Amino acid sequence: MPTLIEPGRTSRNIDPCVLVIFGATGDLTARKLAPAIYNLGKDGSLPPNFALLGFARREKSHEQFRQEMHAAVQQFSRTKPIDEPFWNHFQNQIFYHQSEFDDDAGYEKLAQQLRELDNQFATRGNRIFYLSVQPKFFPIIVSKLKQHGLLSDPKSPSWSRVIIEKPFGRDAASAATLQAQLSKDLDESQTYRIDHYLGKETVQNVLVFRFANSIFESLWNYKHIDHVQITMAEDIGIGSRGNFFEEEGILRDIVQNHIMQLLTLVAMEPPVNLSADAIRDEKVKVLQSVRPLSNYVRGQYGAGFVNGTAVPGYRQEPNVSPTSPIETYFAARLFVDNWRWAGVPFYLRCGKRLPKRATEIAITFKDAPGVLFQQRDKHNPPNVLVLRIQPNEGIALRINCKTPGPSSPIQPVKMDFRYGSYFGQSPPEAYERLIWDCMLGDNTLFARNDEVAQSWQIFTPVLEKWAAEVPKAFPNYEAGTWGPEEAEKLITQDGRAWRLL
Amino acid sequence: MSTQLVAPSAIEGELVRIWEGLEKENKLRASLFTLVVFTKYSARTDYFRHIVQKVVEKFPCRVLFISEDTHSKQPFLKTAVSVLNGPCEQIDIGAAGTDIEKVPSLVLAHLLPDLPITLLWAEDPSKSHPLFERLSSLAHRVIFDSECTDKLSKFAKAVLALHQQGKDVADLNWARTEGWRDLVASLFSSAPVLKEVHIEYNDRPTEFFSHLKIQSLYLEAWFQSRLGKMKCRIDSDCWEKLGPGTIISVKLHDKTGLVYDCSRIRDRYHSVCIQIASPEKCLLPYEFMLGQTASGQSLVQEICRRGTSCHYVDMLQKLC
Repeated sequence: MPTLIEPGRTSRNIDPCVLVIFGATGDLTARKLAPAIYNLGKDGSLPPNFALLGFARREKSHEQFRQEMHAAVQQFSRTKPIDEPFWNHFQNQIFYHQSEFDDDAGYEKLAQQLRELDNQFATRGNRIFYLSVQPKFFPIIVSKLKQHGLLSDPKSPSWSRVIIEKPFGRDAASAATLQAQLSKDLDESQTYRIDHYLGKETVQNVLVFRFANSIFESLWNYKHIDHVQITMAEDIGIGSRGNFFEEEGILRDIVQNHIMQLLTLVAMEPPVNLSADAIRDEKVKVLQSVRPLSNYVRGQYGAGFVNGTAVPGYRQEPNVSPTSPIETYFAARLFVDNWRWAGVPFYLRCGKRLPKRATEIAITFKDAPGVLFQQRDKHNPPNVLVLRIQPNEGIALRINCKTPGPSSPIQPVKMDFRYGSYFGQSPPEAYERLIWDCMLGDNTLFARNDEVAQSWQIFTPVLEKWAAEVPKAFPNYEAGTWGPEEAEKLITQDGRAWRLL
Repeated sequence: MSTQLVAPSAIEGELVRIWEGLEKENKLRASLFTLVVFTKYSARTDYFRHIVQKVVEKFPCRVLFISEDTHSKQPFLKTAVSVLNGPCEQIDIGAAGTDIEKVPSLVLAHLLPDLPITLLWAEDPSKSHPLFERLSSLAHRVIFDSECTDKLSKFAKAVLALHQQGKDVADLNWARTEGWRDLVASLFSSAPVLKEVHIEYNDRPTEFFSHLKIQSLYLEAWFQSRLGKMKCRIDSDCWEKLGPGTIISVKLHDKTGLVYDCSRIRDRYHSVCIQIASPEKCLLPYEFMLGQTASGQSLVQEICRRGTSCHYVDMLQKLC
């Protein structure tokens, strides 16, 4: 059917809208959301008819909120210094609304304020509600929005979309309960479960890399790949997030969402097209194929040195119990039981207070037949393809090469592509892309209900087992090292080793 | 290029800043491997800096140069970065006292992924050191310099123990004798029966070398490990421009009465004149090229190799 949209266009028109941030005085708003919205505006990516409304419990004026947003942008924006002429104009589109999250009168006033903003900015009743609040408030807020007529029907001309921050549930049962509560008031098409990893350029490039380059995709299977390692390492501790981390642990905070998103992108089959559901269908199939976990390790850091500086152990961090059983490290061996990945182990690891910050996917290929070019009975190192998610975003391929000269020893070398070197400027922050996609109504980069549910199915037995067994050896790794000894055994028992990043 | 003192947490950022500045001059960073050097601060530290310079002239790499100041009364940790020849870069780590414990965390943070890691451990591995196990466990290959030991048999045991743990090991003094081993192998088409071996080395002391006999002892042990027990004699001479400890000549007597006299030529140190003679006959002398013996070349060649020489292992066992 002919349409008015030209095929292949990359810039898309965005409907006018109001973005309402619940939890607008929180850390996430200051660090990520405010800078993202500012940069979108500065780059001309926000609709001309746009307003931002902060919703929080603290009393403050519009002007105070604008000043706080200004300070946050100044401190955390990827582009500095702040563009004052732009800001002076943009701040007139920023407003604040004080209310408790369960206060009906507050929602009545919110509805009134949104109507006024619609009149002032011609935002046509289109709303994004960004729930940057504790998970216990998700169903309350959504229910109140519905009750006060703030969620439009999915079929009506004006639209309402709700962005829900992680964590979506604490296990399979709680995620199912939360989903049941939300779906009473909210259609799946209106639900945007954010996983900011999916907003990263390097993560989005995994699909492009795989499916736009035939040389790699033809090798992307059990016949050629020995194993895959996915690492998400942080050199920092938990900082001021002690309370949060004591509730969550690293498995809920990182593994169940971010790492599993990376896994699905690496392991999925080509989608039938690039629509959100086609891609997410394939991702769900990967999760459905994951064999129940039997080989995994948890760890907690003790005091040590990171980059030459003495750092405390997890149990000495603020707001952490001195006998805390919470894990700050997780490693696992996982199998995807389908045709493509039969027998190929995926080794996952993530941790706090590791020697350096690095997130990457490393594909290790099988050894070349060893009949030629061996030196003192040693195999040459295997080819490794590394997709670096952060930092030093890029792709590297290790190959073996002859050293110049007559004696010709073989030396591994790296072909290295770096985003920064090729494309210059720093890429947009993940939150910029995700907020922009939500404004467009494109939920490809958001997790679908069945993705989240399936991922919880994989990890809930682990969480249940851990809940029943207090870890006796915690802390079991020193800050500044690559994790506990058990994690080493997990991989060395297979005749492999963790990559030294 | 000058060395910039930086805080440990600022190392990577400072290197990025330096390289971005150099991009305008079309200088790009590149690396084939990470070379970690550990030495206690002494006159030999300069020697190791010198031989590292030889390595970077030949191969682009990242050098982590760790020097421990055992004389300092105060603990300290100092870090500095510099850009070396062409695409190479060096991170200097100086530490003393209890701050030496912090060093592994710095090393771990600055290794280059996917590329070989070579550790040059310039101290005696038979003497316990808090960094040895942690650094050697990171390295694909550990290179020693037996010059650092006072007790060769203990040194040999320590190196063998590391090898038995599955680590590739190498030794600068072993590499320095490679030309002579090649020469001897070229003399015989099958294993000879030797009656006596006479080795002469250069006994020219310098501030960097004091155990000048080690290369000769290595060669002697190699003969015995390959060919069985035989009579050996080691003597010395003093050649002005030849490296200290370097072997000057090897004379082999076989059971048939043939004498293989192999001696460096005084004005061409890399060449050896070979004369084969018996009481009855004398062959025309010919020359053999030993290859480069310039300072640092043995480290360069050992870095390129993989695996552990089985001859080296056998020789160490002889020395134990």
